Parts: sequence; C-alpha cells; structure tokens
Amino acid sequence: MSKPDLREATSAHEPLLPIEKKLIGWSLGTGLALLALLVVVNHFVPLN
Amino acid sequence: MSEATLPLQAAAPPRFSEDLVAVGLGLLVFLLALVSLAGADALGWLVTTSVWSNPAIALAPVSKTYASLGGAGSLLLTYLVLTAVLSAAAYLLGDDVKRFATAFTAVFVIAYASWFIGSWAYLAAVTPADQAKFGISRSLKLTNEGGYIVALLVGLVIANAFPEFAERLKSAVRPELYIKIAIVILGAFIAVTMASKLTLASSLMLRGLAAIVEAYLIYWPIVYLIARKGFGFSREWAAPLASGVSICGVAAAIATGGAIRARPQVPILVSSLVVVFAVIEVLILPFIAQTFMSHEPLVAAAWMGLAVKTDGAALAAGGITQSLIQAKAAAEGVVYQPGWMLTVTATVKVFIDVFIGVWAFILAYIWTNHINPRAGAQKARLGEIWERFPKFILGFVATFLITLALALGTTVGSGQLNAAIGEANVLRVIFFLLTFFSIGVMSNFRQLWQEGFAKLAAVYLVSLFGFVVWVGFVISWLFFAGVKPPLVS
Repeated sequence: MSKPDLREATSAHEPLLPIEKKLIGWSLGTGLALLALLVVVNHFVPLN
Repeated sequence: MSEATLPLQAAAPPRFSEDLVAVGLGLLVFLLALVSLAGADALGWLVTTSVWSNPAIALAPVSKTYASLGGAGSLLLTYLVLTAVLSAAAYLLGDDVKRFATAFTAVFVIAYASWFIGSWAYLAAVTPADQAKFGISRSLKLTNEGGYIVALLVGLVIANAFPEFAERLKSAVRPELYIKIAIVILGAFIAVTMASKLTLASSLMLRGLAAIVEAYLIYWPIVYLIARKGFGFSREWAAPLASGVSICGVAAAIATGGAIRARPQVPILVSSLVVVFAVIEVLILPFIAQTFMSHEPLVAAAWMGLAVKTDGAALAAGGITQSLIQAKAAAEGVVYQPGWMLTVTATVKVFIDVFIGVWAFILAYIWTNHINPRAGAQKARLGEIWERFPKFILGFVATFLITLALALGTTVGSGQLNAAIGEANVLRVIFFLLTFFSIGVMSNFRQLWQEGFAKLAAVYLVSLFGFVVWVGFVISWLFFAGVKPPLVS
C-alpha cells in the first residue's frame, strides 16, 4: 500500500464519473426540495 | 490486507480485521459501562483530568468509589489496563506484542502529558467565571479539548524533528484502530445525550431535520464538487474532505475514509485540518454571534451547531455564545434562563451526528458498486459490499440503539445511565487523544506542505468560510428567528 501523495491527489486528473454527477445532482436537488418543504412546514408549525 | 488497514511491521498474519477488533474492544468498554447499572462500578477507576491551575489536584478517578486510588494511582491503572488490552488487540492483528507494548508506553505517556498540559487553565478556561475561579485574567479559551491540539503538535514535532524516535513508536501509532474504538463508544454517548433532551428533541425535530438536510445534502455535494472540479482532487481525497467540512469533522472524515476504502492517512490528514479550523471557529464565531445576534439567541446557538465542526468544538462554541449573549442581554435588563442556547446547539449537532453511519453506508454502496468495483466484476455482489463495509459503523449503531432503548424503554434511571456511559466516555476521550497524537507522529508536515498540503487547506478555507458558515446562518435564521429562551421570572 502506497502512502498518499498530495501532488498525486491533485494531478491525477480523474474526470467526474456519471455516478458522481448523479450523487451531486440528486443530493443537491433532494436537499433543496426538502429544505423548501421544511421551511413551509416550519411556517405552519412554529417552534414554541 | 484491506486498504483500510494500517501498514504494520506484522510478526504474523492478522487473525482478525482491524474493524472487528475495534468493534470488539468498543463493545467491551460499552458492556463494562453497563455493568454499573447492576451496581458494580467497573470503569470508575479510569483517570480524568480537570481544568487546573494547581497540577497536584488535576488528576482523579472518574468515580468517587475509587477516590482512594488518587490521581496518580488511577493514571497508572488506566495505563496498565490499556496496555494489556491493546497488546491483546495487537496480537489479534498479527503485530509483535512486546514491541507494541514498549511503543505504546511511550505513546500513552506523551499523549496523556499533552492532555494534561492542554487542561492548564491558561489554555483551557473558557468563560470569565472560569477565569475568575482559577484566578487568571486571560486564557486561550481552548477548553480542555485543546489537549488534542497539544497532542497533535507534539506528534508533529516528533515526526519532523525526531524521525528516528517516530520510527520506534510506529507499532503503537494506530490512529485508525483508536478512532474506530472511540466511535463505537461514541454511539452510546450520543444516545444518552438525545434521550436526556427527548422532550426538547421532539419539539426540535423539524429543525434537526433541516440540519441533516443542510449538512449531508447541501454542504456535502458542493464541497465535493469544489474539491473535485475546482481544485482537481482525486475521489479518495475529495470524499473525506467533503465529509470533514460538511458533517461533524473528524468522525465523519474517518467514517467516509473507511467507507470508500481510502488509504488511512487521507482521512487522518483531513481530520487534522478539521481540528485546526474548528479551533479557529471557536475563537471567532461566538464573538460575531454576540455582536450581531444578541437579540436572536437561538439563531446564534443553532448557528454554532451547524457551522462549527467537531462535537467538542461545537459545544464549546455554544457554551461561549450562551455566556456572551446572556451577559449582553443582562446588561440590557433581559435575563434568559440558562441552558437553552447550549441545548439547541447540542440538539442540532446530535441530529447531524446520528446520520454519519447512514451516509457512510450510502457512500460505501456507491463506491463498492459503481466507482471502485473489483476488477472483472460488472457489479459488486451483495456479499462483497458486506466484506468491504466498515464494520465499526455497525458497532456505533449497536451501542446507540441499545443505549437509546435502555434510556427510553426501561426503568433504568437517566442519571444512572448517564453516569455509566459517562465513564465509558472517559475512554472515548483517551482514544481520541491517542488518535490525535498518532496523527501527528504519522505526518511529516514539512514534506506534506511541499507536496501540496496548502491546497487541501485552501479547499477547506474556501468551503468553510465561503459558504458553510453563511449558509448555516441563513438556515438557522429561517428556523429559529423570533424564538427566544424563556426569561427568568
């Protein structure tokens, strides 16, 4: 097992795989939608 | 040998994986803590260090039952038991037991001395009341978790200035083993924290969900994207870095590193960054909160939980914020009931914490099945996912669920359970400490900096102060604006 090399870590030029794009897109999309939903619910069920 | 296992000078092939050994030791500590529920105090002899100005009274056994041992006796007993148990673990991992025990003696002595120094009032005292108690006028306000920083720095000095000595310590420099044991114990600690605030926790459920959504589904993908596209980091570095910045720092970075099978030094280096930046946040954000948010105390408290990484630093920031805002409000004639702001910080943080295991599972599934499947296989088998799954996360989930069930579903008193898990938590702190010292000893910082460590820090800096802190503020405002703690009647 090799030791990690930070120069190698940033010079590997690994392109974003479709699954990574999916992970980023789905996470952000789901997150923003859920957050909007929670803001609406928060409006109707305020914290006491 | 799996990629998640540290390189050892193995005397024999490992008999068990590091994950299984860590789960076994973590569960052993947990079970010994539970023994006290039956009336026998099995862990009360463990040593603790209070914040001190007089070193002679800083050390003590965690339980008064063992007060006769004294501070030095409990320290010696803690060392002997840890050496014996971890030497057995080294045997199971195929290491040379004699060499491990010798190296561990030096590691424990130096690491615990660092913790002791970090608890000195001039470094650790936080509030003006604390400073008055110790008769000092100023301190670095690091809390006694500043001992982690001292241990890290001492380790770094050894690695960089005394490389031959660092080489001798190597067989006991096992950050992954130590942190995995600590995480298993942490599951129980989080459960008692949640159970003790159940009424508030249930009324804050909605806000807790917002914290989870923010950390995992908004911060994480953005930081990952910045690291990958903006700075060109490989997946192995970008994923632990995204977890370190977004979730709860050290534990999340380590869990993610295990889940994607990163080399062990990767999450460890990320963890060291997390700790450094968390300390900077603790020193800055509470004062910003006092200046600009003193009329929105719960917004400020939630902001600390969302923006400050690592549990200890977040709770320290919540405590400082509470003191500062209460003092300012009192000067204006408004006296809030104490404790509410810190409770909001803790609740937000706990909600984020409990999903680390779930997120690690999701990442492990994606990495195993899609990003890094075994050569020749189109898709990883279910069994392969299990084989590569970080088992210590299951230990964390087990201690969490068992403790929560005991707290909510039995007649065990909450005070009794808190005391039992509190004793186990002393060992969690020691394992964290050993981890930080080991991180330092493993890191040739000068070489790392030459190799591009600054770039890693740049991603962290851009992400943390570029949007994590400010998005956290906006979301805290959305959910807590206008809500005030009760006033003292």
